[in-house]
Amino acid sequence: HPWETVAQAAWRKYPNPLNPSVIGVDVLDRKVDHHGKLISHRVLTTTWGMPSWAALLIGLHPVTYASEHSVVDPKRKSFELKSSNVSLQNFISIDEKLVYSPHPTIKDATLLKQEAVVTVRGLSLANRLEQMVTNAISSKASAGREGLEMIIEKINDEMKEFASTAKKGLEEMKNSVDVLDFE
Amino acid sequence: MNSLSEECTPLKQEYDACFNSWFSDKYLKGVTTDHCGPLFQKYQECVKKAIKDKAIDLEQLEKRILGTANEKQIPES
Repeated sequence: HPWETVAQAAWRKYPNPLNPSVIGVDVLDRKVDHHGKLISHRVLTTTWGMPSWAALLIGLHPVTYASEHSVVDPKRKSFELKSSNVSLQNFISIDEKLVYSPHPTIKDATLLKQEAVVTVRGLSLANRLEQMVTNAISSKASAGREGLEMIIEKINDEMKEFASTAKKGLEEMKNSVDVLDFE
Repeated sequence: MNSLSEECTPLKQEYDACFNSWFSDKYLKGVTTDHCGPLFQKYQECVKKAIKDKAIDLEQLEKRILGTANEKQIPES
């Protein structure tokens, strides 16, 4: 899909059935800077994928928060998002970076480059845990792309419906104008 | 999509609708001034208050890992 399509869909990525744990997205700040870039700061609210009572039982808060900073550069066609967890920072750091840009060789396609760095502090199981989280992020990455694909399809359907409603409206108008001519 | 606070959700949805159409119809076509300001202000006030109420510490987040000296090297696998 062309970069513009992906950029629009990326803002509407959540909710989608393939990333069900993101239950809240809020914009904390947003502005267009003097280079024309759109700078946003959002906070994402995530659950563990288990009922809150279960999370509380094992000593977790039912929701965790992540902070995401993003820059859209419409001239260079680049949409970069960086997010880090806010909750549990004393224990683990998950830093993710996603960059959407036009595909260098395939026409009208977009390239997504996704990286994540996981750092676990103060645990003897640190390496194993980092590996587990990294694997989970890796498999979530393709779910992220598929989720985005679903949103793009939804937007296309919305546009088709809008176009057909507009067309019907125009035809009705045209018909009423024709009727007036007869009087 | 919901807001982190239930009472902010309607304000958020109104703002999001404005932003999404501005982004596709105006911003990507070169218009940098947006008309969503007033909606955003109302929504922001609600969210900032909710964050304070929930005591979410966002200041921790200002340090970056990726792209800085803290970034770990790729482990040998």
